[in-house]
Amino acid sequence: MAEVSFGKEIDLLKLGKGETFHGEGILAVTKALLQSGVTYVGGYQGAPVSHLLDVMVEAKELMGDLGVNVQSCTNEASAAAMLGASIMYPVRGAVTWKSIVGTNVAADALSNLSSPGVMGGALIVVGEDYGEGASVIQERTHAFAMKSTMWLMDPRPNLTTIVRMVEKSFELSEASNAPVIMELRIRACHARGAFEASDNVAPKISARELQKMPAEFLYDRLAHPPVTYRHEKLKFDVRMPAARKFIADHKLNEVFGGKHDDVGLIIQGGLYNGLIRALQELGLADIYGRTEIPILALNVVYPLVPDEIVKFAAGRKAVVVIEEGQPEYIEHEIGAILRRADLNTVLHGKDIFPQAGEYTLEVLVAGLLKLLPRYLPALDLGRGSAFVDEIAGLRAKAQSALVGPLPPRPPGFCVGCPERPVFAALKLAERQVGKVHVSADIGCHAFATFEPFSFGNSILGYGMSLASSAGVQGFSEKRPIAIMGDGGFWHNGLLSGVTSSLLNHGDQILVIMKNGYTSATGTQDVLSTPGPQAQASASGASSVNTDLTIENTLKGMGVKWLRTVDNYRVGDMRKTIVEAMRTPFNGLKVIIAEGECQLERQRRLRPVRARLLGQGKRVVRERFGVDEDTCTGDHSCIRLSGCPTLTVKPSSDPLKTDPVAHVTNGCVGCGLCGANAHAATLCPSFYRAEIVTNPSWFDRAKSGFRRALTRTA
Amino acid sequence: MVQTHPRTILIAALGGEGGGVLAEWIVNAAIKADLPVQATSVPGVAQRTGATSYYVEMMDAPAPQGLEPVFALVPAPGRVDFLVSSELLETGRLLERGFASPDRTVLISSTSRVYTTAEKMQMGDGRFDSSKIDALARSIARHYVPIDLERLALETGTIISAAMFGALAGAGAFPFARAHCENAIRAGGRGAEASLKGFAAAFAAVASVDATKPAVEPAAATAKPPGGFAGLPRDVRDVIVRGQTHCNDFQDEAYGELYLDRVRVLIAAAPPAEDPHVAHALEEGARRLALWMAYEDIPRVADLKTRKTRFERIRREAEMRDDQLLHVVEYLKPGIEEIAAMLPLRIGDAIMRRAASGKTTWPLGTGINISTTGVFGFWTMRALAQFARVRRSSLRFAQETQAIDLWLAAMRKALASSPAFAGALAEMPRLLKGYGDTHLRGRTNYAAIFSAIVAPALDAGRLDEAAGPLRNAVAAALADPDGKVLAKTLASADRASEPRRLAAE
Repeated sequence: MAEVSFGKEIDLLKLGKGETFHGEGILAVTKALLQSGVTYVGGYQGAPVSHLLDVMVEAKELMGDLGVNVQSCTNEASAAAMLGASIMYPVRGAVTWKSIVGTNVAADALSNLSSPGVMGGALIVVGEDYGEGASVIQERTHAFAMKSTMWLMDPRPNLTTIVRMVEKSFELSEASNAPVIMELRIRACHARGAFEASDNVAPKISARELQKMPAEFLYDRLAHPPVTYRHEKLKFDVRMPAARKFIADHKLNEVFGGKHDDVGLIIQGGLYNGLIRALQELGLADIYGRTEIPILALNVVYPLVPDEIVKFAAGRKAVVVIEEGQPEYIEHEIGAILRRADLNTVLHGKDIFPQAGEYTLEVLVAGLLKLLPRYLPALDLGRGSAFVDEIAGLRAKAQSALVGPLPPRPPGFCVGCPERPVFAALKLAERQVGKVHVSADIGCHAFATFEPFSFGNSILGYGMSLASSAGVQGFSEKRPIAIMGDGGFWHNGLLSGVTSSLLNHGDQILVIMKNGYTSATGTQDVLSTPGPQAQASASGASSVNTDLTIENTLKGMGVKWLRTVDNYRVGDMRKTIVEAMRTPFNGLKVIIAEGECQLERQRRLRPVRARLLGQGKRVVRERFGVDEDTCTGDHSCIRLSGCPTLTVKPSSDPLKTDPVAHVTNGCVGCGLCGANAHAATLCPSFYRAEIVTNPSWFDRAKSGFRRALTRTA
Repeated sequence: MVQTHPRTILIAALGGEGGGVLAEWIVNAAIKADLPVQATSVPGVAQRTGATSYYVEMMDAPAPQGLEPVFALVPAPGRVDFLVSSELLETGRLLERGFASPDRTVLISSTSRVYTTAEKMQMGDGRFDSSKIDALARSIARHYVPIDLERLALETGTIISAAMFGALAGAGAFPFARAHCENAIRAGGRGAEASLKGFAAAFAAVASVDATKPAVEPAAATAKPPGGFAGLPRDVRDVIVRGQTHCNDFQDEAYGELYLDRVRVLIAAAPPAEDPHVAHALEEGARRLALWMAYEDIPRVADLKTRKTRFERIRREAEMRDDQLLHVVEYLKPGIEEIAAMLPLRIGDAIMRRAASGKTTWPLGTGINISTTGVFGFWTMRALAQFARVRRSSLRFAQETQAIDLWLAAMRKALASSPAFAGALAEMPRLLKGYGDTHLRGRTNYAAIFSAIVAPALDAGRLDEAAGPLRNAVAAALADPDGKVLAKTLASADRASEPRRLAAE
């Protein structure tokens, strides 16, 4: 992490009143937290909200000046529990993570936070990972808001509204004594826009202004019976009405009037921009959001304010709820509200719009085309129909021209990634021991589920691989192998997996990818990340061998069979896996697969190399290559690697029609190609080239001597 | 006039290509030009080589007082004004989703390919046909600008995003001056000089792109017209000349003559080559025969690895300057059968018998690293290359000669009676490639297909109907390394021929 600089972002966080902030949505949220006077911030990294925490962690000086306590929590449960500080103290706090997965992990703490309620404003910023580019299962955070009685914001995706809603969330939380969640979709987090900043506010109680006395003992602030019964009553008798009053008084939800009064559109704030574009396509709105069909944009999607809904629906023939994801909680609630008010306005929603999937422009246009003619028959919607036909035509034309499906391009391991060789070794080990059951996990290593490896029989959650192989080992002749990253190990795997396996004397195999960081989320530090000195002295080499926290932890817990293997030694790794499969030892077998994240290594190496080259000093670069005249074009090497720099090209020899393997100049010389060539007896085509820039006199003498006695140049 | 729609720009890139930097440049340039702008993206797993996209919307003029444009966060099919893609397959993917329209889209696509793992890992040629995408792009966009952005970036020493920026600006994607773009790059700091060069090169290149010619053409043959073999189609003659050169290079001129003799046998057996089936069978037959005769044994590999031209190629591929020094280390692990293969027949046989009996053959068959730029390594390899002199009496040579003769005999019969079958049979030696286990697998597959399809078809004289199954079987053998598809295909071919065989008996 230390190698990434957030200087520009930190400058944006320092902006004062009247200055214009130009940046990404998630950074605007970060700025809004400081403008709201938060005392503490915590969270667990994950797209698309990682940036919030990363920047705050790096902005030590600014946080120190304001007295803000920033924590990189080891999982979402520990982040959620931090909010407990706002139960008994008038301090504002915010935590962040990727939903739905993070909210699932945090659920226990959230229940017990919501029960007593909060005194200081408590905000949870979640990345609602739904739709294109999403990496987790498609469930809605909405369910958690409802079940724990927390309020849920879904602001219109422009930076001004998002920032205002962050600030209002704290006020709402304090006015109603309940935690607030703000859900932001991926593209909103990454939306690059602008808003007018205001000054940061230093919290009244903080790391600079210390609280002298701990809070008094108040049993009714504990999530513990019998007061939890009272909490249940408070939630709906006191907090909910207070929240509704605040939402209505501060006009957090927005009505946009239009001339066609017979129909009203009720939409989650986050989808508002897409709806305006859909109405534009139909000729019913302009680029500045002036609409002919009335819209109620819900910046707060839970709780709804019945009066607002009734007022918006009254007198119309129909309202439609445009709600992404399933089930349709908002539509159900609005149905109940209309029924209770005995309103005869027809309610539409999922009967017109699709149950699941992202509400893109075409989905919205198609839905409106179904709805509007029923109630506004005089409207000419020809433009919309033409749009739908046009897209269908374009796609049909493309498909007929391309004939077959295009080859997929899923994400994969980086160039030189230390996790790739482990899967090459596993593939080779399978040649000896046969197919094995592989419990996969969350992390970069999940890329091994794609070609060319295609490993993994289950993925149950972050750090869950070992636990998920516990059931399998009971009925399998061969031992199952669980793959886990060090990120997953510290997040959850240590407790859910290792302790459980040891307690039950499980005969399982665990491979821990010790790369030193939670790499998939942007190489944030973990407990076992090598120290800065070790990193600096390793330069471009791996430094993870300098930290033994994982090994010592496992030994201390009673793991007896523990092997550490250098990932790039494919032969050794294969041997160790085979040994783990065959050893008579009955108990947990752990293989520590050691190799530092290549991104971090390259980030360290690049400036060092640039400096040396700039000074005219000796630099040696290694890269691998394939001799195309000995390559026969079988591509076994690629089936054991998948490295982006090991690719194919047309043979220079026109006799050969199959493309030959080829290593591009992006190769970082990790060594896997050579190790595979030996371990798998691939072919003699691979070579390693050592390229010496600014050679010393000794280099030149040696090279001259060699050239004189050989015929290489 | 009030602008009813924003200007929309969709950027397709691969993780780690700097698409985010490009979006940032565009936004900053627009802000400097005082234009409302929004960019968004789904980077998700950027850095990690997957496909990713960035989407920009902007207005051509500042918003009227009190109003703010509502920008969409998701690009819409048929509603993209400028589409730029760093890679041709990704262009295809966007076209497949309907993003380019003949009414409005200026499509700038790099003609370069970054092959996907699914394409690269195939045992034969799994590359998607680029010309299909090129042809589609030509017909589906308002204006199509095919341009090799990767090469431009490489030549100017920058990353592809700078070239993409220049191409967009050159194609008129922005409602502001070029200087705004260049200032945005300068303000970005690091690497600005190289980025500006890449920008300028792409800006200029856009103007000179000739979109009327296909950007992706099939590779053209370059050989000189050969002597002899008159009356054959040019493609066939080209292959024969190359084949002869290849065999000369492998052994000596006498070996090249042997190649020509064998080709003559095929031609003599064939009907006139006007029939395209015949021409194809002869061309493929001549090609595969040459590659087969110049099989990859240890002396051959040692020879190729110690040629001057090889070291020149390594220097070129690594983009080395003259003042840099090169040291090359080989990764060799000759299997026991490969060592036996280059030795005289009797010794080779003895070694293979010993290996088969399970007795130790150490140190033969262990992995070694040898430096061909080192004195010892170089001369060791040259010594191994000298085994080519006794190649004609080696174990492998005897084996290959026998197999080639068998194939030639089958080819002669096939050419005479069924050019379609001959075409499929000509392609069969394609299976014989690789080293070690890979080579063994190829041989096993070849033998299995020969005995399951070729031999029965020749015996029964039913070649035409076996042509399809033979072609399928060769494709099946190349479908997966575990031989699953081949086993299934051979089993079904067997079932299909069962009734006929009974009828024949």
